[in-house]
Amino acid sequence: MSVKKLMILIIFCFIYASINYYSYANEVSGKQEPTLSHKVETKNLSGVDLLIVNLYNNDRILYAIVVTLVMASLGSIMAFGTDLVLKFFGMSVSKISHNE
Amino acid sequence: MDIFNIYLPVAGIEFNVLLLILIGFCVGVLGGFFGVGGGWIVTPALNIFGFHMAYAIGTDLSNIFGQSIGAVKKHHKMGNIDWKLGFISIIASVVGLELGSQVILILEKAGDVGSIVRWCYLFLMFGLSILMFYDYFKLNPKKRGKNKNKSSNEQSEPIRAKNTIAERLHKINLPPMISFPASGIKSVSLWIVLFIFLITGFLSGFLGVGGGFIRMPALVYLIGVPTVIAVGTDLMSVLFSGAYGCFTYGIKGRVELIAAFFMLIGASIGAQIGATAVKYIKGYGIRLLFAIMIVCAGFSIALEQAYKITNLQVLSTIAGIVLMGTAVSMTLIIIFSLVSEFKKERKLRL
Repeated sequence: MSVKKLMILIIFCFIYASINYYSYANEVSGKQEPTLSHKVETKNLSGVDLLIVNLYNNDRILYAIVVTLVMASLGSIMAFGTDLVLKFFGMSVSKISHNE
Repeated sequence: MDIFNIYLPVAGIEFNVLLLILIGFCVGVLGGFFGVGGGWIVTPALNIFGFHMAYAIGTDLSNIFGQSIGAVKKHHKMGNIDWKLGFISIIASVVGLELGSQVILILEKAGDVGSIVRWCYLFLMFGLSILMFYDYFKLNPKKRGKNKNKSSNEQSEPIRAKNTIAERLHKINLPPMISFPASGIKSVSLWIVLFIFLITGFLSGFLGVGGGFIRMPALVYLIGVPTVIAVGTDLMSVLFSGAYGCFTYGIKGRVELIAAFFMLIGASIGAQIGATAVKYIKGYGIRLLFAIMIVCAGFSIALEQAYKITNLQVLSTIAGIVLMGTAVSMTLIIIFSLVSEFKKERKLRL
């Protein structure tokens, strides 16, 4: 990829960010911040959404533990998978010398 | 693009899943490469795209925690983490953070704290970037053309300018003295190290940020840690603060698990790419990119401050665009540099 192509890509990203900003910024304006004891309505939910919301509504400590464990597990699994892919392309890492 | 919209039940909004993965990916690359959490990008980005601020912070912290695990593992493998220094930084930073947040509470009672914080933020960001640009253009041996006649053996040694702030601080004899072999620091007063992290922690509590972008330059310029070790060691602190933040915001019900999940998919991939890029890009290159990034972020905050003064909505809009544009552009530059350096290395090997 040449520097010229990279510059075009960067400008495109700025334009894309601008378009998205306008569409979403209009939607968010005027919404109220929920309170700490806020409960989520479960009426129209099913499957994983319902499971998560039930946990959220019933036990916040358990919800926090689940969130922390899910993040830790997913982070480790994804890191392991990406590492394998990078190794496949020859980008394996080992101890490096710390030259500036 | 509506087919990619998913409902986020806890935050109570619909969100584009591709956008979540993209935001996560960008912050992952930046986090793995610069050793920062990236909260100053993700939190405003999520907020702009429809999250309430508290959910944006909580979801961001959860994502930071998850992405840091892989990046820390990779930096550890490359020998880029000074664990001893990292633990000292965590302890002193927590004390400083508490002091900073107490000052905020005092100022809150006195009046408009938001404006004071933004001015301090601006001053710090532009000050840091001036220092880093000065360092790059004046002290970088390559820029001065001094390393032309050096042997290859000499070039593999850590390059440090004479009489840097760090070297002057190392000379202060205030017992107990401590060494950090992993960072190549033979002797420095423990009090000085604690004081530096107390200040960075204070600033992070005062400005309401994770502190990665303050700690990383502090490690390099004040303690004299080589850039890549500063990145790895800082990431270790980010991992601990992220874990705490993830849990505490979870208890408060301010983490949108589904959003954090999708962001983490992008962030974990990005963090691995960012951490790998550190192997291919030299320390001074990292510092230059970091300086450019904080100038852009500082410019965005300046626009936000101008918006608060003038009430012109367009300034706030431009601030958001600059912030996200910077994140995406910097991500592309890092990936581009990684690929081109990797290709060069492969050619040399063949």
